[in-house]
Amino acid sequence: MAISAPIAWAQAAPQRIEITARRSVYTPGEITVKKGQPVILVLKSTDVGHGLRFREFGINLQVKAGGSVQVEFTPDKTGDFIGHCSVFCGPGHGSMEITLHVVD
Amino acid sequence: MRNYSNVTASLVLLAELAGCRATPPGKLETATVTFAEHHFFIRNKEQKNPLPDTPATREDGKEAFSHYCVACHGMDGQNTGVPFVDHISPSIPSLASPDVQRYTDGQLKWILDNGISPSGMPGSKGTLSDEELWSIVAYLRHLPPAGSLGTPDIYTH
Repeated sequence: MAISAPIAWAQAAPQRIEITARRSVYTPGEITVKKGQPVILVLKSTDVGHGLRFREFGINLQVKAGGSVQVEFTPDKTGDFIGHCSVFCGPGHGSMEITLHVVD
Repeated sequence: MRNYSNVTASLVLLAELAGCRATPPGKLETATVTFAEHHFFIRNKEQKNPLPDTPATREDGKEAFSHYCVACHGMDGQNTGVPFVDHISPSIPSLASPDVQRYTDGQLKWILDNGISPSGMPGSKGTLSDEELWSIVAYLRHLPPAGSLGTPDIYTH
């Protein structure tokens, strides 16, 4: 019992991933998470307002210029999902994408 | 002598520009171009909208429309509040009009991607995402009553 408690705590701790947005680019451009493991996505902007939307997971982060926002979620399906900027940020907005890999 | 040449060149230029003055197209010209657009120029007739036609999709479309399209089409897609709508040729069509609504979803997406040359309609591929453009197509199928959304913010400041 003395051993199992810390393990249970470690499994429940969400994975924290920071994503930086600047005009037309997310850094990193790809992230990988595990199905069933809680994740905290942190979105930071270094220039203008940006967004990050994963329609399949009901996520729609919106950050103001120079700001930071976050959301916690638990992916419930595997696959590759494309996130898009959901705040019009100027030319190139439409091609601003990030790939989320959800694996078992 | 040089001044005389400059004046002559200016007059020639003015005469040429006057010849290029835009005038509203006649009914026959409009009907011909509309027919050609529907049947020859605007492609992608068969493609279906991959997004579900739900209130949420239409709301997304309305949001995306408000970023880029309202400057010429108004919030309602029917030119409400656009100050130059009566001073441009060819005219900006109401997106609720039968001529526009007769396009298939795929054709509307093609127009959004590529624009219509040589009219003032620009292509938006890359400026808006595919998902946003398809959501705009959904919004166009359910436009609100003309005038109900007021004047775009860009014309009220």
